[in-house]
Amino acid sequence: MQSLSSASVAGVLLDLSGVLILLLAFACLGSKLFNRYVAYYGAQSVVLSFAAGVAAYAFHSPELWILAVATLAIKGIAIPVAARRLLIRRLQLKRDAAMSTGLSTSLIAGGGLTAFAYLVTRPQLLPHGVVAAAVVPLSTAVILLGALAMVVRRHTVAQLIGWLIVENGVFLGAITLVATFPFIVEAGIFLDVVAGVLIMLVFVSGLTRQLASASATELRELQG
Amino acid sequence: MTVLAFVIIAGPLAGTIAAASGARARPAGWAGTAGACVAFAAACWLLIGQLHRAPLQGFGGFLYVDSLSCFFVFTVAAVTLLAAVGSVGYLSAEEAAGRLTRFQVRLYFIFFGLFASLMLASLETGNLGLLFVLIEASTLASAALVGLEGKASSLEAAWKYVIISSLGVTIALAGTLFLFYSASALHLAPDLRLTWPYLFAHAHALAPDSLRLAFLLAVVGYGTKVGLAPMHTWLPDAHAEAPSPASAMLSAALLNTGMYAIIRFLAIARVGLGDEFPRVVLLVFGFLSVTIGVLFMVRRGNFKRLFAYSSVEHMGIIAVALGFGGVLGLYGALLHTLNHAIAKAVLFLSSGDIALRYRTREAAGVRGLLTVVPLTGGALLLGSFAVLGSPPFGLFLSEFTIVRAGFAGASPALPLLLLGLLAVAFIAFARTTTGMSTGELATSGADGRTSPYRSRAAGLTAAAPVVVGLVALLVLGLWIPAGLNTVILHSMAVL
Repeated sequence: MQSLSSASVAGVLLDLSGVLILLLAFACLGSKLFNRYVAYYGAQSVVLSFAAGVAAYAFHSPELWILAVATLAIKGIAIPVAARRLLIRRLQLKRDAAMSTGLSTSLIAGGGLTAFAYLVTRPQLLPHGVVAAAVVPLSTAVILLGALAMVVRRHTVAQLIGWLIVENGVFLGAITLVATFPFIVEAGIFLDVVAGVLIMLVFVSGLTRQLASASATELRELQG
Repeated sequence: MTVLAFVIIAGPLAGTIAAASGARARPAGWAGTAGACVAFAAACWLLIGQLHRAPLQGFGGFLYVDSLSCFFVFTVAAVTLLAAVGSVGYLSAEEAAGRLTRFQVRLYFIFFGLFASLMLASLETGNLGLLFVLIEASTLASAALVGLEGKASSLEAAWKYVIISSLGVTIALAGTLFLFYSASALHLAPDLRLTWPYLFAHAHALAPDSLRLAFLLAVVGYGTKVGLAPMHTWLPDAHAEAPSPASAMLSAALLNTGMYAIIRFLAIARVGLGDEFPRVVLLVFGFLSVTIGVLFMVRRGNFKRLFAYSSVEHMGIIAVALGFGGVLGLYGALLHTLNHAIAKAVLFLSSGDIALRYRTREAAGVRGLLTVVPLTGGALLLGSFAVLGSPPFGLFLSEFTIVRAGFAGASPALPLLLLGLLAVAFIAFARTTTGMSTGELATSGADGRTSPYRSRAAGLTAAAPVVVGLVALLVLGLWIPAGLNTVILHSMAVL
């Protein structure tokens, strides 16, 4: 199997992109403005598509090039633009007030989760020299941070962004394996994300029409 | 045989195509029913045809049908058929009453067919990545059904469902990745690395640390779809808000599809990690689900929520049975899957009839069903005794097997605990449903006497699946057909 060691240029670039993606997840967790959430998510996706490009170059894989371009076009540009047009501008969202904890608490929790991610995916867990060493714990950390954002934030739009960050984390993990990951599966995952975003957009705007605000704190009708 | 596998997937799409090309409730419903019939017939054929044959494989592992798949395909196809017939009456009544627009009715049939087809497809793939893709896609299709009515409460339920399940299934994808990592030290053929039969054959050589993480993530992730506590929070809302035939599909087909995915991971984990770790994981989640399901059933209120919590309970029972293991445990788990699916389809379909007649989903608003609508009242009463595991219905047999499997194990405490919880469930559930079917007649509000159906045929489509389902449950309680028995035994060999 082709593999990337962390010493090769591609490996270093992949590790670096992983770190950037993690930092952007933290930035998203630490911000309070809807505009920023979307901007950080967009930036994260651009870095992700760069990482996919690096892997495509290293593995000489034309399918990966397609995925890199699709990531850039859809996750990096289309989804952020759509979220900004259809949700943030139309619903006039500015500051996210619906949080269950303070920003500093959630950042500290995020730090804890990152450490946890390193603990559970210690390098010895993986056979040596198979993937760029840091990418697996990094992607696990991004998944956990996205999930944390979904828990801490109560607003439906913020939860949607949280899920997209989780998805990016999984995708980062998948890139390193992609040389052997069937393209149909990768493409299917991609399509699922797009369809998921579309259907969630419909629900969020439907909910907003019905309730004054789309905050999940007001989703109280169904209990017990 | 390969053709049959595709016929099963394509069958339910008939309703989708009819609705997409502009048919109204009845023609679209009949098209869907015809498609479901074809799919069910093909599933039976596949089940019998594959009995003593090697698993069906093809397309680089993307298609893989063994006895376990056949068994689940049969279950899901049966439920799809019952729900498709029920949809005709329910949707045309809703359309006639003006509660759903024509557009909504068309959306319903489009997504109903897609949902069924995606679930059946996910049961026939051997590629674990594609399994994720199809299960996530079926989540999205069913979310549209949950949010169909467009009220604030149904949109809320749909939102909760889609966001929690998508997160859950994404976690399962992370589990799939770790399974992939655990195989990376082996020099396997690259294009087969994600295929289940290949991984299963090499399960003893997988890296255990990574495999343990993979199994846990898969149980949590797909467990979200199964409705295992504490990931079950979306389930009662979604089941209560969806149109009743769609609730039947959610409870009787979707949850089983999730369980199927867990069983696939379980089979690999059993070989790779030994019995103990998977056993503990499944018992913990199983007992937690049974307990939570039972506790929430005590609360009176919306009867569809009651049925939904009963699904949480039963999925817990299946997880416990898989945890008990052994011949009895596995046999009981699979038999219980089929029995529960049919019983829940019956209950949700009769709840649809009740909701149409009384215009309420609150148990307190429904009284004296046996006098007003003897058929539905009887079905509700018999269905609830069946689902609670009373003889002579099939669930008695499967629950009995499961409890015996527990006593065959090390400690009698666990099966005793299970029996205690089942007893509480019986009291809580029967208290509500007997009140609904007997009880004083309601003096105010809708008395349920006016038939919500425009024609006799529509009324018949509401009644037929309920009666057929009850008969099937009765038969399964008295006699397990030889073919079914063989398939279950073969499926256990896979585990």
